[in-house]
Amino acid sequence: MAEKARFVLAAAAFALLAAAGSAIAQAPSAQTPKKGPAWAELSAEHQQILAPLKDTWLQIAPDRRRNWVALAKRYPKMDPKAQERMQRRMERWAKLTPEQRKQARENYRRISKVPPDKRGDLKQQWSEYQSLPPQERQGAAPQKKKPAPAK
Amino acid sequence: MDNEPQFGNRIRHLLNRGVPLDASVSAKLRAARELALSRQKPEAAQGLVWTGDILGRLGGFSGLSLRLIVPVVTLAIGFAAVYAWQQKQRTAEVEELDALVLTGDLPIDAYLDRGFEAWLKKRASF
Repeated sequence: MAEKARFVLAAAAFALLAAAGSAIAQAPSAQTPKKGPAWAELSAEHQQILAPLKDTWLQIAPDRRRNWVALAKRYPKMDPKAQERMQRRMERWAKLTPEQRKQARENYRRISKVPPDKRGDLKQQWSEYQSLPPQERQGAAPQKKKPAPAK
Repeated sequence: MDNEPQFGNRIRHLLNRGVPLDASVSAKLRAARELALSRQKPEAAQGLVWTGDILGRLGGFSGLSLRLIVPVVTLAIGFAAVYAWQQKQRTAEVEELDALVLTGDLPIDAYLDRGFEAWLKKRASF
């Protein structure tokens, strides 16, 4: 009886403290405003870098906005070609759904795992792939699982 | 001199054999005993005995804090730290991949295409 009570007491104390612990863990993010930085709060430099996103800035989720600010911090260290590409792709990237971005990151990771000597020039491969007839391109896509018959 | 339990035993032994007492003395002893019994406190409530038992087993309140709360707090702080670290890692990873996709050789569409990655792998394996 006493053993059981001791266990219950320990479990209760543990649950309480674990909850307190996770609250502590989230404290840093609670300190920064949950809404994410407003456009006016960005430095002039960051506003200039992120200019393509200005009009849609408010529609971007708070954590994504923080991510953009982090990318703007990297921007000065990029070479001009990379900067130009980022400027050009920013708007499109921001408009994708979170799932699409996740898929793209995953594909990037997979493609970069293919040894460079085997994959050849990626740009060339991409244009070659694009020139394939649609049927052949679709054939390469992983087969979607058949949806379960509706009940 | 004998030690206490032995001394006690000897007294018990003598008493068991019977002590000749006056009737008035035994009456007084009986009355005193009955009075004592009537004033005896009822046993402590079961619940209190139970909690007392737990606290006693854990070494009282000071023991409770040392033997239970300290490791649990340590563990909770450890979990919190690991969780915070993981979140930070994940954010950094997303940031890194975003930068790579945004500045890489291939357009975004190449990474959104369902078939390109598989096609590329298939080619690479030849």
